[in-house]
Amino acid sequence: MDLDPRQYENVAINDNDIHSIVLSYLIHNCYKESVESFITSTGAKQPADYLEDMDKRKRIFHFALEGNALKAIELTEQLAKDILENNKDLQFDLLSLHFVELVCSRKCTEALEFAQTKLGPFGKEPKYMEKLEDFMALLAYKEPEKSPMFHLLSLEYRQQVADSLNRAILAHLNLPRYTAMERLIQQATVVRQCLSQEAGKDGPPPFSLKDFLKS
Amino acid sequence: MENPCEVLGSKGLIRRHEFVRIIIQCLYSLGYSNSASCLELESGVSYKSNELKLLESLILNGNWEDSIEYLNSIQDVLGETRESAMFLVFRQCVMEYLNCGEDALALGVLRKQVSALDVDNCKVHSLAMCLLSFKDRELGGIGDDDVVVRDLRRKLIADLENLLPPPISLPEARLEHLVESTVTAWVDSCMYHSSSNRLSLYEDHCCSRDQIPTRTTQILTGHKNEVWFVQFSNNGEYLASSSNDCTAIIWKVLEDGILTLKHTLNGHQHAVSFVAWSPDDTKLLTCGNTEVLKLWDVETGTCKHTFGNQGFVVSSCAWFPNSKQFACGSSDPEKGVCMWDCDGNVIKSWRGMRMPKVVDLAVTPDGEYLISIFMDKEIRILHMGTNAERVISEEHPITSLSVSGDSKFFIVNLNSQEIHMWDVAGKWDKPSRFTGHKQHKYVIRSCFGGLNNTFIASGSENSQVYIWNCRNPTPIEVLSGHSMTVNCVSWNPKIPQMLASASDDYTIRIWGPSFLKMGMPN
Repeated sequence: MDLDPRQYENVAINDNDIHSIVLSYLIHNCYKESVESFITSTGAKQPADYLEDMDKRKRIFHFALEGNALKAIELTEQLAKDILENNKDLQFDLLSLHFVELVCSRKCTEALEFAQTKLGPFGKEPKYMEKLEDFMALLAYKEPEKSPMFHLLSLEYRQQVADSLNRAILAHLNLPRYTAMERLIQQATVVRQCLSQEAGKDGPPPFSLKDFLKS
Repeated sequence: MENPCEVLGSKGLIRRHEFVRIIIQCLYSLGYSNSASCLELESGVSYKSNELKLLESLILNGNWEDSIEYLNSIQDVLGETRESAMFLVFRQCVMEYLNCGEDALALGVLRKQVSALDVDNCKVHSLAMCLLSFKDRELGGIGDDDVVVRDLRRKLIADLENLLPPPISLPEARLEHLVESTVTAWVDSCMYHSSSNRLSLYEDHCCSRDQIPTRTTQILTGHKNEVWFVQFSNNGEYLASSSNDCTAIIWKVLEDGILTLKHTLNGHQHAVSFVAWSPDDTKLLTCGNTEVLKLWDVETGTCKHTFGNQGFVVSSCAWFPNSKQFACGSSDPEKGVCMWDCDGNVIKSWRGMRMPKVVDLAVTPDGEYLISIFMDKEIRILHMGTNAERVISEEHPITSLSVSGDSKFFIVNLNSQEIHMWDVAGKWDKPSRFTGHKQHKYVIRSCFGGLNNTFIASGSENSQVYIWNCRNPTPIEVLSGHSMTVNCVSWNPKIPQMLASASDDYTIRIWGPSFLKMGMPN
C-alpha cells in the first residue's frame, strides 16, 4: 500500500453499514442459514419477506447451474410469469443450456428436434443468429468437448447463465441486482485506475484485490 | 482411337488429344453441341473423362456411398481437393435427407462423415445450421419435385467439375484463356501500341513505327523570338503558342493536317510563358512572365479580361471543367493559389504564411483534383470534394507538370533529367521513371499522348524531342530537327499522330508519321 494509511483513520465507518453489506451478499447468494445466524449474532435488522423467495431462488439457481434448464425455467415461471417473457436473451440462454445438456448426453436427435422447435424461432433475429450457429455446430462433433465451441459446455458458462437468471429474479422482486460488496470493489478498482492514469507512473498502481487481501 | 502420344505444332509441344479435347470444350460452351459430339465421335476423344462420367452417373442416381468411395479412390485427387469434393457430396446427401424429412439420417451423416473431413470448420458449421430450419435455407421449399432434385444434382456435378483437377476435369474456358494469354503478350511487348489499333487473331500483332509522329511535316515561323509554350485545344482543332516576343498565337488545324495562323494575340508587355485552353475551347488564358493574366475569346481573338496588375505574378493556371472558373498559382510566395471566375472575382484562395512559390498547377480533367507544384520539390494533390490533401516530396527540383487525359496520372519534369509519372489516386509508392533527354537549367515541359495516354513526349535541352512508351523507361523515338532547346511539346488529343514542339530557335515544328497520310478523323 502506498497511499498513507493514516488517511483512512479519517473516515468513520458505521457498524450497521457493514452489517448491511454482509447481509446483502448473503441474501444475494441465498445463504439462508448464514443469514439467520448472522442476524442472531449481530442483532442486525432482519430484512422483510425474503426467506421464502430465497429458498425458491436457491433452487432455481442450482438447477440452472447443474444444467437442468427446463426445471429452472418451470420454477422461474411459477415465481413470476413474465420474467422470461420480458427477458428474451435470458430465455434463449436457458433454452440453449437444455440443448447443450441433450448434446452432452449424446441425445442428438432429440437435441436437433428441440433446437428446431424451441431455438429456431429466435433465429429470425440477427443478434441470436451467431449464438445459434455456435450451438448448432456442436451437433457436428462426435466429441463436442473437443470442438472449438467447448466453452459452451463448461461450468463457467452455466454459472454465467445462472447468475443472469438470479439477477433477473432479484430485479423482479425489487431487490438490488448487484451486491453492495461487488459494487464497492468495482468502484475502488475504477477509481484507482483513474488515479493511476492521471498521475502516470508516479501515481498509485491500479487496485488489486489480491494484494489488498494479503496486506 | 487417337494415339495419346501424338504431337502437333512445329516444335512438337502440343499433345493432339489435349488439343482436340480443348476444342470440344469450346464447341460445347459456344452452344454447338451437335458439332461437339460429332467431333467426339470422329476423333475418339471424349470431353468428359471416364472418372467424371462414372461420378456423374453415381451422383445422378443418388448413390452417395459409392460416390464417396470412388472419390477416395481416384489417384489424382488428393488432399484438400478430395476433402472439399467429398464435402460437396455429403452436403447434397444431407440436404436431400432434410428435404424428405429424414432429419435423423441427415444428422447422422453430419456427425459421422462430415465432421471427419479435413475441411474448414465454417463449412461444417453452416451445414449444421441448415439442420435447424431447412425451409429457410437455399434449398428451401423444393418439395418432392424430382426435377428440382435432379437439377441440384447436376449443379453438384458442375461444382465438382470446377473443383477436380485436370485431366479429370478441364479448367473452364481453356481455349479462350490460351488465346487471350497470347494476345495479351503481344500487346505487352508492343512498344508503339495504341489501343485504337484493332487486334486480329489472323496476324501476330505488332504496331509499326508508322503510327506515331516521327518526321517534321510543317515548320511554323509566326513568332519573332523564343517559343516557350505550345498546347493543342481539347478538340484538337487549334494550337496555341506563346513566345518571348510577348505574343501568343492561335493556329487552326486544317482538314489535311496543315496549320494556319488564325489570330495573333497582342497585349502583353512581357514574354508570355503559359497558355491554357478552357475545356470547351472557347477561351484561352495567357500568363505573362511576372505579369498579368489575360483572358481571350478564341473566335474573335480579342482580350476579354485582364486579371491582376503590375504586382500580380502568375506562373501558371488551370481551368475547371465548367469552363467558367480557373485556378492560378503565383510565384509570389504570399499569394498562393487562387480560384477566379471569368469576370475577375476571386472565388476561393489557398494562402498561408508557409505557402511557397507555385511552380506549376493543373486541374484533372474530371475536376476532382487540383495538383500544385510548390517551390520546388513538393507536389500537393488536393481533392476538391473532400479537401483532403496528399503530398509527394521529390528529391530534385521540378520544373513542370502535366496531367493525363483520363485524369488518372500525371508527369513531372525534374532537373535531374528524369520524368516521373505518378498516379493521382495515390496507390503507387514510387513513380515510373523516364530518362534519356537533357534537362539541367531550363523549364522543360512534357505531355501525355496517343489514345489512352500510352505515350509521353518531352522537350530537351539538346534540341530534340523525346518519345517514350509509358511502360518503358527508355525512349522509343528521338526526333531531330530543331536547332536549339525544345521547351515544350503538345500531342494533339484528337489526332494521335500529330505532335507539336516549341523551341528557342523561334519555330514550332509539327510532327507526323513517316508514311501514312495524316488527317482529321471522321
